[in-house]
Amino acid sequence: MTHRRRVMITALVFLLPTIVGTLIFRLIPIGWSFVLSFYQWKVFDTATFVGWDNYAHIFRSPISLGVFVNSAVFSLIYVVGSVVLALVLAVVLNNGLRSSAFFRGAFFMPFITATVAITLAWRWIFSTRFGVLNNILMGLGVDNPPAWLADPTWALPAVALVSIWKDVGFYMILLLAGLQTIDPTLYQAARVDGAGPVQRFWKVTVPLLTRSLFFVLIIAIVRSTQTFEITYALTNGGPNGASTTLAFFVYQKAFVDFDVGYAAALSYIMCVILGLLTLVNFYFRRRWVHE
Amino acid sequence: MSDAMVMPSSRRKTATLVMLYTVLVGYSLITLAPFIWMLITSFKAPSDVFKIPPSFVPTMLFTDEPFANYTEVWTKRSFVTFFLNSAWVAFMASLGQVFATSLAGYAFARLELPGKNVLFAVVLATAFVPVEVTIIPEFLIMRWLGWIDTFASLIVPSFLVGAFGTFMLREYFASLPRDYGDAAYVDGASPFQIFYMVYLPLAQPALVSVFVIAFINNWNELLRPLLFLNSPDKLTVPLGLMSFVNQYEASWTLLMAGSVISTVPLILIYILTQRYILQGFVGGGVKG
Repeated sequence: MTHRRRVMITALVFLLPTIVGTLIFRLIPIGWSFVLSFYQWKVFDTATFVGWDNYAHIFRSPISLGVFVNSAVFSLIYVVGSVVLALVLAVVLNNGLRSSAFFRGAFFMPFITATVAITLAWRWIFSTRFGVLNNILMGLGVDNPPAWLADPTWALPAVALVSIWKDVGFYMILLLAGLQTIDPTLYQAARVDGAGPVQRFWKVTVPLLTRSLFFVLIIAIVRSTQTFEITYALTNGGPNGASTTLAFFVYQKAFVDFDVGYAAALSYIMCVILGLLTLVNFYFRRRWVHE
Repeated sequence: MSDAMVMPSSRRKTATLVMLYTVLVGYSLITLAPFIWMLITSFKAPSDVFKIPPSFVPTMLFTDEPFANYTEVWTKRSFVTFFLNSAWVAFMASLGQVFATSLAGYAFARLELPGKNVLFAVVLATAFVPVEVTIIPEFLIMRWLGWIDTFASLIVPSFLVGAFGTFMLREYFASLPRDYGDAAYVDGASPFQIFYMVYLPLAQPALVSVFVIAFINNWNELLRPLLFLNSPDKLTVPLGLMSFVNQYEASWTLLMAGSVISTVPLILIYILTQRYILQGFVGGGVKG
């Protein structure tokens, strides 16, 4: 047997698990889900082909339109909040302070901690009467603090807040890696030319960080559409659907209401929205990123 | 800015330092507060929880049985079962990820096979399809395989494919010098021996990263266990915690003790392997 042939056989054996796994757990489900989205199927019934009906129903139902609005609000709060905060923390940490390794480690911790456990701790913090947050607020003179998780106005922002708290360290680490590639002599040059800290930030840091910023932005947008664990453990989508976002709605439709075709159609709409957002992001990236 | 201009430079430096540390210390408090509150609550007597204003004293620490909440959760509420289930599933699934992605990553980086670049593109592209799209058929496949309510449903897929690990290890293997493999080839080593005896040991740091990150993800996984497991003795830690919430919503002391127990392994792993975790996330990320 020639060496070339042996290499090819080895490669095939090495890639066999990946081929099988990609086929069974990725490609087939992706296709199957698309087919399901054209059927009406409540798991224990027979499936009937309904064409585009599921999609039409989704865009006509006030409930699902409400979910779209919730998702947009959630994504906006989450993406803006986490990226801005991550940028501030990364820039502060990039000043070569002696203790920065400690702070970096501490800020990253929420990202790798047990999600459901820490979300339950937040649930306890947000608790209306006995929660530590409202008691602090009342101590500070706020007379009628919101009921947070029980309040339709505040439940969604509360889920977003916990999500930001959890993920910001991850984005900070990615931005910090980008900051460390910036040549320090550029800052010295800017300083010699009389640029203050604010000018140095806008004229040196931001332009040279656009590559990392767009990368973080893409991840943040993708993650903002997929929140599940925190919603499940904090509000279960409530009160009365006020904190239900698209990913959570797909789960409810498929596995609580067993309306499988409808859920499949929802998931494909979600996929298309995600694709469009990524395209928009790449379009701006081409215009703004200094390669 | 003009104020800063007139300030003598050493005072300006001190002012900047104070500002930087205010941000850092302030945000550290926000980062740590939920952990601290969880810990304090887990050491309170049930009657102390509903006090207004809330007390910051872990009262149980001053009694004969400081760990009473923990022993109750661990033994009487079968948390030990959830914990062992989670440990087994997370360990096996992470092992599976190291197995599948080291083979695939190496093949993509160093072995020749017609169509392998197409396959790599498919693996990466399908990883961007949200789980919501694939989860319904995945559930149906598990039911068809008869794997519902078994740990196989959570472990076996990890032995087959993992886009993140494959991508990371492909980068890593590609960064190792080709000369080593060439020398082994001249000495008569087979392609498998070159992988197993030369490159795999060199990739150890990256393999640790893949293992640890997979362990954290599997320890935290909620959706799949929620859908695939149903018997009370099969639940994983996140499901166990959620079942506590539904049964005794008001028992915050027990709930927080359980939460501390489920957090400790991850914090320990994080402290021990911080370097690998950060490298893994940044290395796997920035080049993407």
